[in-house]
Amino acid sequence: MTFSLIGRCARTGRLGLGIATFSLAVGGRCEGVAANIGVCKTQAFPNRTNDPLGIKLLAQGYLPKRVMEMFAANDTEHSYRQIAIMDRDGRIEGHTGPGCRGWAGHKEGKDCIAFGNGLVGPQVLDGMIAGFLEKPDDALEYRLMRAIEGGRDAGGQGTPDAHRPERSAAIKVVDRRDYPDVDVRVDVHPTAVAELRRVLEEFKLYEEFYRGRDTDPSKAIPQDVFVKELEARRRVRA
Amino acid sequence: MTYTILGRCARTGRLGIGIATFSITVGRYAHSIRSMVGVTVSQANANENNNQIALRLLDQGFGAQAALDHLKSNDAYHSYRQIGVIDRTGAAVGYTGKNVRGWCGEMVGENYVSTGNGLRGQHVVEAIAKAFLAEPDADLEHRLLMGIEAGRDAGGQGNATTHRTERSAALLVYSRDPYPDIDLRVDLHEKAVDELRRVYVEYKQYEDYYRARGEHPRGAPSQEAFMTTLRKAS
Repeated sequence: MTFSLIGRCARTGRLGLGIATFSLAVGGRCEGVAANIGVCKTQAFPNRTNDPLGIKLLAQGYLPKRVMEMFAANDTEHSYRQIAIMDRDGRIEGHTGPGCRGWAGHKEGKDCIAFGNGLVGPQVLDGMIAGFLEKPDDALEYRLMRAIEGGRDAGGQGTPDAHRPERSAAIKVVDRRDYPDVDVRVDVHPTAVAELRRVLEEFKLYEEFYRGRDTDPSKAIPQDVFVKELEARRRVRA
Repeated sequence: MTYTILGRCARTGRLGIGIATFSITVGRYAHSIRSMVGVTVSQANANENNNQIALRLLDQGFGAQAALDHLKSNDAYHSYRQIGVIDRTGAAVGYTGKNVRGWCGEMVGENYVSTGNGLRGQHVVEAIAKAFLAEPDADLEHRLLMGIEAGRDAGGQGNATTHRTERSAALLVYSRDPYPDIDLRVDLHEKAVDELRRVYVEYKQYEDYYRARGEHPRGAPSQEAFMTTLRKAS
């Protein structure tokens, strides 16, 4: 049981993955998000070697369609995997093996692919894509957040008579740098998508401060001081 | 303000990091391990480019000290950085620039670097190293987490009069695979080290199940069925 969306910002070329699932610590199984290369995510019964291999193949210039063919040839259990691949130009390939349990499928939208298994139905993928497309000019991390929330609000994981909560969730976004721009996670939580929204909103308040400490630490104020200023701004708004 | 233990298991060659800090989402700085190659950290005013540069240098065969020297000579602001590196032989180095704030420094030995800044004092990095070294035959993730908890219990971050809580923490361990064995995070929490222990204990129950499900999907029990066996066992 998992629902995920890989998306690309057509304006900036940034790439990202949003994911939520019943399993714990899913963000620790998202190695396949690589700046200037692409995104590859294997789920359901994941072959953990796929995603690092997929990134290497995309980096060599192979198309997502060809990478998927190579996955199939390299894995006797390919029919139990659910995989989505997007390259840096936004080319997409999806695979939902017949061995995936519950309602399972993938669907492409503009600049994105939604994919999930153990879901209440195809409306979850539609909810994700609608969430992603709602504000196309927003930063990619917000679009991915809305996609996950859209999937949750469309019913998320489970069957028509039993809903399963999201216990972990993650968003990763890469730009030009070889480390993620945005990398937020919730590993064990009863409502992980709501908690991820809280973490993301908080991170966005600190993002520029943290970047400034990196690029010119000689001008950086202590974090204590930054937090006090932040709290003061919050009080003014409240 | 941060305290960190980098460690290598002399028995298995596994590499890992445990980190806790006042900053939020610190795990995004901890993508700093390459299987059987090395582990590194850049903190204080982190130069986020450093980790990937260090790992590439170690991969090319440079030792920990040479990698550190390269990072310093590549960074006009290295005096604001705090860096640790362990290479695949277990050689370990640490560096604390003179402009890093608060009490800051490291304890370094074969296969480990205990490093921190904005701490209550030297005793914090000493406690981390001592706890990491206490059970050399235990799993690396256990040793790293014991190190972080010892740092917390020794007073952690702050100064003589003020304590600063840990708001985020992370624990990563790599073995031979190109993906982590353990990759756990707490991004935003008022007691992030306590919460990391909770996440760790929960995750450890599922670890073998998740691995088996991926490697042998045919006939794998559903997660609900697996959880029923967990409840029976407890």
